[in-house]
Amino acid sequence: MNYTRDKKTLLTVYFACYYAVFAFFFIDSRLLSQYQPIFFNFNHDLTELLLLATGIPKWMIAHPASFLCADLLVLLAPAVLLGFYIKKGRFSLFLGVFFSFLLGFYLLLANIFWQVHQEPFILYVLLSAVFWTRSEKGFYTLLSGCRYYFLYIFVSAALWKLLRGGIFNGEEMSRVLLQHHSDLLSGACDSLSCRVYFFLIDHPALSWWLYFGGVLLEGSFIVGFFTRRWDKILLGFAVLFVVADLLVMRIPYWTILMGAVTLWIGPGPRRAPALSGIIIYETTHHENLPALLDLCEANFNRVVVYLQTLSYENLSGKGSPAQRWPRTEFVVQETDCPNRVFIQKMFSFGKKEGFSHLHLSTLDNNLLFFAYKLWINSELQVSLTVHEVNEYFALSFASLRDVTESVAKGILHRRIRNHTMFLPAMAGRFQQRLPGTVAVFIPSRFYQSQAPSAAPHRPFRVVIPGSVDPNRRNYEEVVKFFTDWLTQAITPSRSIELVILGDSNNPFGARIVAQLQNLESPFFRLIHYQGYVPELVYERQIETADLLWSPLKVNKKSSRNSPETYGQTTASGLTADLLLNNIPALAPAGFELPGSFQPALLHYSSPAELNAIFGRLLEDAVYYRELRGQIHSAFSWFVKENFNEAFELLTGLD
Amino acid sequence: MKWLLIGFIILQVGLDLVHSVTAFPFVHYGMFSESFDQPDSLLVYEVTVDSKLLKASDFRIYRWDMVQVPLAGFEQEQLGQDADSDKPKPGDSPALVEARLIYKSIIPPQLENDDSLAIHFPQWYKQYLSRLLGHPVRTLRVDRAWYHYTGGRLQLLQKKNWINS
Repeated sequence: MNYTRDKKTLLTVYFACYYAVFAFFFIDSRLLSQYQPIFFNFNHDLTELLLLATGIPKWMIAHPASFLCADLLVLLAPAVLLGFYIKKGRFSLFLGVFFSFLLGFYLLLANIFWQVHQEPFILYVLLSAVFWTRSEKGFYTLLSGCRYYFLYIFVSAALWKLLRGGIFNGEEMSRVLLQHHSDLLSGACDSLSCRVYFFLIDHPALSWWLYFGGVLLEGSFIVGFFTRRWDKILLGFAVLFVVADLLVMRIPYWTILMGAVTLWIGPGPRRAPALSGIIIYETTHHENLPALLDLCEANFNRVVVYLQTLSYENLSGKGSPAQRWPRTEFVVQETDCPNRVFIQKMFSFGKKEGFSHLHLSTLDNNLLFFAYKLWINSELQVSLTVHEVNEYFALSFASLRDVTESVAKGILHRRIRNHTMFLPAMAGRFQQRLPGTVAVFIPSRFYQSQAPSAAPHRPFRVVIPGSVDPNRRNYEEVVKFFTDWLTQAITPSRSIELVILGDSNNPFGARIVAQLQNLESPFFRLIHYQGYVPELVYERQIETADLLWSPLKVNKKSSRNSPETYGQTTASGLTADLLLNNIPALAPAGFELPGSFQPALLHYSSPAELNAIFGRLLEDAVYYRELRGQIHSAFSWFVKENFNEAFELLTGLD
Repeated sequence: MKWLLIGFIILQVGLDLVHSVTAFPFVHYGMFSESFDQPDSLLVYEVTVDSKLLKASDFRIYRWDMVQVPLAGFEQEQLGQDADSDKPKPGDSPALVEARLIYKSIIPPQLENDDSLAIHFPQWYKQYLSRLLGHPVRTLRVDRAWYHYTGGRLQLLQKKNWINS
């Protein structure tokens, strides 16, 4: 679709400009048949010398009818080329090559006979090579090459002025104007333009600034070598340059603007969704990948994930990742491969294989490196999972690392325009901070559990997922609750198994575990883990739980000390854990989850409330069964089909 | 295709480094880049058609170019012919005269304009001007005028008649 549209755009602009050029040749009596030359010029051009050596120009002078033939050929050849294209719907290699040759030949003759100055017409010759190819890839490759040439025209003009010293001559522009406009200035100077030229000649410092401005304008095109992001602005600069050239130098250089079509037309196939592929980078939060992978497999032809060994081994609780996502390629980071090298490999791979999309599930601690890589790979459609909204916008200059991260964030905010978050409230907050960008909610995983059945008669299992971290969760509250619960006079109707489902191998964790172990009795048993909990174990514990408990500290500090609020600016792992089954979850008041999550969430704001909720769950089997049923119904909304639209927004697949 | 483009760019940059020579389609974009000195005099071709001086301000830019370009080209050609002439000039050493004769003998004729150009040019230019101006030109006069910039304007230093037809 893009290819057809881009071809039409190019053909329209190219031939509109082409015939406009020759129309003005005709108006100004510059066609060879109008000029009817009787001598040729020697310019310092080797190709022209070669053409002269063939004797053709001299033969043409002796046979003036040949000038009319040359004019007719150069005017009719495009008509034949276009006629073939319209009839057959494709270009002809023979006609394309013939046209390019003819155009080049005519320009050489025009320069030999009347000094056409071919510079602005070179792109007409180069772009005509697009008419040689029938392949989409070839079309865009040539277009891209011509874009570089268009940029080169301006940049090299600036370099010439630097290297040959024009820019360092304070009276340069004054003298250029004097020499260039001498025939205009030698007459009666009664026009406004003539008076302005004299004024500028008389004020060398002022006119030098014009020259300097021109060099800056030309030099600014260098940015196009590194990114396509500013192409439309460069197109505006090209128009500005042509207007300024006409006003100041009286050089109608408008013909060069045809080349600006290369800035207008995009990079081509990489934008076409049908041919696209996506790379996902994830080294820290692999538990958030499943939904993303499901959506990627459904929407992209090729999916590649760059991740660590630990992430790969724990990505899927049941079966290997390769079995669960058979169309996805997994590139695992070797243990001796530093992150930056791994990232570098990922970008090189993406470029080599022509990937159109990149999703960063994490920026780990390489913000500046990512910012740099994304800046130079400007054609990549990039999206980002934001885990902590405030942190993503926090700027700090307290240390070198903070400075580099702050600079990187500035770049990333401009470069990345599509974001996903694990809660709708986060997406809302994000869009307030960065208006005009895409921020969507896609859950960590989709809900796949069966409807709840009658629970087996066994101890009531309470699971507290997540590593034992005093910054994130209030474990003292847990210890206090169970101490009170187990020491009260009434004997519990069911025994309790408490699972601390996270690494407790730290001083704080050891203290909490010790306190809970002290409570162990025939009615209370503690299960805890030291070290990383394998995903298979983790998921099995969640699935066999009767109650999840997330004793969150609703207001916490991010890894870089930015204040974050769970449920508003950051998401807890609970949102991912909940979707593994239809288990109710205890959470402190203030921690809000939206819509379909709500039936699962049981809030408490005091030990008394906690006591009441816990007691009812334990004692009232009917209530508990109905609650599970409600959660199942609500969670059934978390299916892939309901998030396709958000995913299309995220990846720009419209 | 990609390598053709890379090759093209390498040749283009290479030719830019060579400076004074181009080989179409590898051209330079170095206009107005050399550091200009204050010119002692400025040469202007003054064209008078049927007793009326043609003025740049009365023409579209490229039409005026087409009035001037043939004159500049013809002058260059004349200068070249004078330099290449096999006729000895006063002060020429015998070796230079000999070298000039050898040079003339090896240059192929297709690389030289007709010797009769000086004779035919005025008439041809008159006819071309007729086509350009859209009316027959009965009398043509071209002067070469040298101006000097002083006091905020161009002052005529010298004027020489060049073509009369």
